Amino acid sequence: MDAPKLQVKLFSDNVDSSNLEKFIPVFHRWIRDHVLDELMIDVADYSHVHHGPGVVLVGHASDYYLDLSDGQPGLLYSRKRQAPEPGERLRDAFRRALNACRLLEADPTLNPRPKFRANEALIKLPDRLDFSNDDPSFDALKREFETFLGQLYAGGKVKLTRVGSNKSPLSVRVVTEGAPDLHTLLNRVGGPINGSS
Amino acid sequence: MTAARSWKETLRDRMPESLAREIEIFETQIEFKKAGKIGDKMFAETRLRRGVYGQRYDNGRRHDGEKTQTLDYPCESLTKGPETVWDAPGMMRIKIPLGKVTPDQLDLMCELAEEYSDQILHVTTRQDIQLHFIHIEDTPDLMRRLAAVDITTREACGNSVRNVTACQYAGVCNEQTFDVTPYAHAAAMFLLGHDDVQDFGRKLKPAFSGCKDNPCGLVTFHDIGCIAQVREVDGKPKRGFEFYVGGGLGAVPHPAKLLEEFTPEEELLPMMQAVCRVFARLGEKENRSRARLKFLVNKLGIEEFTRLVKEERTKLRPDPRWTAFLDDLANLDEKPLKPGSELAAASGDERFRAWFKTNVRPQAQPGYSCAIVTLPLGDFSPDQGRIMSDLAREFTNCSLRLTVDQNILFRWVSTADLPELFARLDAAGLGASGAETISDITSCPGTDTCKLGISSSRGLAGELRRHLSVGPELPAAAQELHIKCSGCFNSCGQHHVADIGFLGVARNVSGRRVPHFQLVVGGQWTENAKNYGLAIGAIPSKNVPLAVDRLTKAYAEGKREGENYREYVGRVGKKTVRQLIEDLTHVPSYAENPSFYSDWGDPREYTTGDMGVGECAGEIVPFVEMGLADSERELFEAQVILDEGNATAAAERAYQAMLHAAKALTRERNANLGDDPDEIVREFKLHLCDTRLFHDPYVGDKFANFLFSAHGNGTSLSSGTNATAAHQRIEEAQLFVEAAHQCYIRNASPAS
Repeated sequence: MDAPKLQVKLFSDNVDSSNLEKFIPVFHRWIRDHVLDELMIDVADYSHVHHGPGVVLVGHASDYYLDLSDGQPGLLYSRKRQAPEPGERLRDAFRRALNACRLLEADPTLNPRPKFRANEALIKLPDRLDFSNDDPSFDALKREFETFLGQLYAGGKVKLTRVGSNKSPLSVRVVTEGAPDLHTLLNRVGGPINGSS
Repeated sequence: MTAARSWKETLRDRMPESLAREIEIFETQIEFKKAGKIGDKMFAETRLRRGVYGQRYDNGRRHDGEKTQTLDYPCESLTKGPETVWDAPGMMRIKIPLGKVTPDQLDLMCELAEEYSDQILHVTTRQDIQLHFIHIEDTPDLMRRLAAVDITTREACGNSVRNVTACQYAGVCNEQTFDVTPYAHAAAMFLLGHDDVQDFGRKLKPAFSGCKDNPCGLVTFHDIGCIAQVREVDGKPKRGFEFYVGGGLGAVPHPAKLLEEFTPEEELLPMMQAVCRVFARLGEKENRSRARLKFLVNKLGIEEFTRLVKEERTKLRPDPRWTAFLDDLANLDEKPLKPGSELAAASGDERFRAWFKTNVRPQAQPGYSCAIVTLPLGDFSPDQGRIMSDLAREFTNCSLRLTVDQNILFRWVSTADLPELFARLDAAGLGASGAETISDITSCPGTDTCKLGISSSRGLAGELRRHLSVGPELPAAAQELHIKCSGCFNSCGQHHVADIGFLGVARNVSGRRVPHFQLVVGGQWTENAKNYGLAIGAIPSKNVPLAVDRLTKAYAEGKREGENYREYVGRVGKKTVRQLIEDLTHVPSYAENPSFYSDWGDPREYTTGDMGVGECAGEIVPFVEMGLADSERELFEAQVILDEGNATAAAERAYQAMLHAAKALTRERNANLGDDPDEIVREFKLHLCDTRLFHDPYVGDKFANFLFSAHGNGTSLSSGTNATAAHQRIEEAQLFVEAAHQCYIRNASPAS
């Protein structure tokens, strides 16, 4: 896919948007302990912004958000640069998003443990030079999305819907029925990622 | 195979040619730097003059709460300035003259925040927009997209004329003399890239105000400040400006001085040009900490500076732009979208009425209102930005302004539309009431992103905002107070002019660093920020909310009719105010309460090491701490003495405070050090200045020179000190003592 900038969001039903501060020490620890296999730099707290980007773990090539946009909390992975080969980009983005969800779900300092849904995702392409949020852009990518998602959900029925206004980045909502758990999905896209900690 | 699309080609016909060329040059300079053909200093100033600024940790190191770690960027040794790693993310400052922004421009900046930044737009205290965590190689495209909507980042940073600010109510204010909008706009355009502003030793900040009494323009702390005036000339009203120069906050605040009581409108631009020329020619170039215009005005005296400016004015080659804009004054008037109207009785619900009370101002034009969108910490999301731009198109004739309070103002709203506008804003989380009240707290970025931040001003401001919103409702008198927070002495949060200001500092407690804020009282926001407050004591960050509770309660209970906070403090005395918070200055031991050893919003154990200064080995020596505490006491007493009207004694006490701090530090190196001031100063110079141990990493020997200066002319100053000079010496002593603390921290052993 010719989209070096790519975002994948996985939703949560139990992340309390009014209490995101508890994720701040977790992200700081991820930096300190090199929990991820990429260079992470800082943590930014925007939880005071209504339906905003929440708490952000800022990296060099990627950012990880406890994102509150549209009032739907979730983990948003954002590839900014150093994208993998075009054919690998979707898989890599889903893998990193799923891996972050796995880490958060297993973090003993978070009580209650956050839970992320496997049956729904949002794909965004924040690159208006090449992708407008319109039907032609969506149609041009739809087959590639369907092929990848067909593999991810192992042939389960997947519904793709373009969402958001034409001012937004190209945004595609993915809904599937009977999705397996996150760990199974993660294993299908390459398995857990371990940093150097 | 088709070539990849680019913003450069896509926007080629939509960018002004001159801007397109400038951006191409900058892109070439980026390539030259990567190829090693430009030095670090040159490239740093080049990018700064295009708004591309550094950000915390861009030296490639970050303290994780336990130790400093190297951030292994892929660029290896490539840098974009001294000690600034190429790949490290930076801040992009987008210059918005007068804060006047169109919906299309706002939409575009939202796109940029989504595509290049971390999904947040930040309104600054100078009516700019800032985006953070930007990679330098994204900046040319970012600039092209801005250029396509008539925005330039040129001279947003660097040694140049910064954003021209103006009262956000200009043109719709009930109390303005006249609308300063076209004049401020003309000044911004005239000075942008002008040859006469390219050779400054430091930045120059201009501001315009439509009246003398209100705070919106804040001209008294600007390098050039213009206040609208109308005089009768030959029996006709004539527009012009009270023309001020040499104001500034920063480490040592200076109130601007009056250069000319009435500068006629046609002389406004040439006078500004003449000031720029004198500043460029005579301003300090070597010592950056003495290079702002305020120091030149002080050094020369306002009379001599005025003479030089007027002499320079006569030498200027006439420029048609000086007056061309005067022919178009009326054309720049904003027009309403809808007819004016009145609010129906009993409109809206309780939330609307609360918002209406604090966030709506009637315009001078009947039937129209201004509505303030309160932005927490000056932040908003791209989604919110797009909603505001849509609402501006729907309810106004695209009339939005960013404010110096870090909010956004809708102008020309037909008053009957306010309930609907509120409902739509509220649905987007933009309907908070409390604009320009105690909960609408101004803050600089502080340690969140600024390299110079000492304490977390944004963390504190966020916590205070939360604290004030969940606690019991404050009495009306306290609601009207203004709180401003700066993360360091550079005063970007404008703490000097708040009723209650906070200035980030650090303290060493038993070998550990503890984030603190100096409490600053006595400032005055009104009358264009007429008076500057002074610090009366450092409070651990975690105790600041409690301090605010006590200060506001005491004020609400003790204020007299018509008395503002500055007057109240003046009447009850700083001693009384200080007593209110005395016990809160105590820091519990780490074992007792470790939360005091981290800052608001940042769970890492606090350090000042991220300022780019390593922590050297050393020993914790209690007498140093005692000496430093003594110096703080002396400082406070100096203020009390000054308030009592004895400027000479106050100046002497401030000098003694510096001596105490110098002695405390020097005795570590010379145990035989006595009390003779000559000896203290001589030994301090030998052991701490000549060795550069006392040098501030950013301003060098500036703070040490405060002591040398006071010591050198202490007697002569003392014999005839006026209040202004004493005030300044106290400010200098404050900075010296803070520098002593920082020196001690830098050279003390880290906590085991």
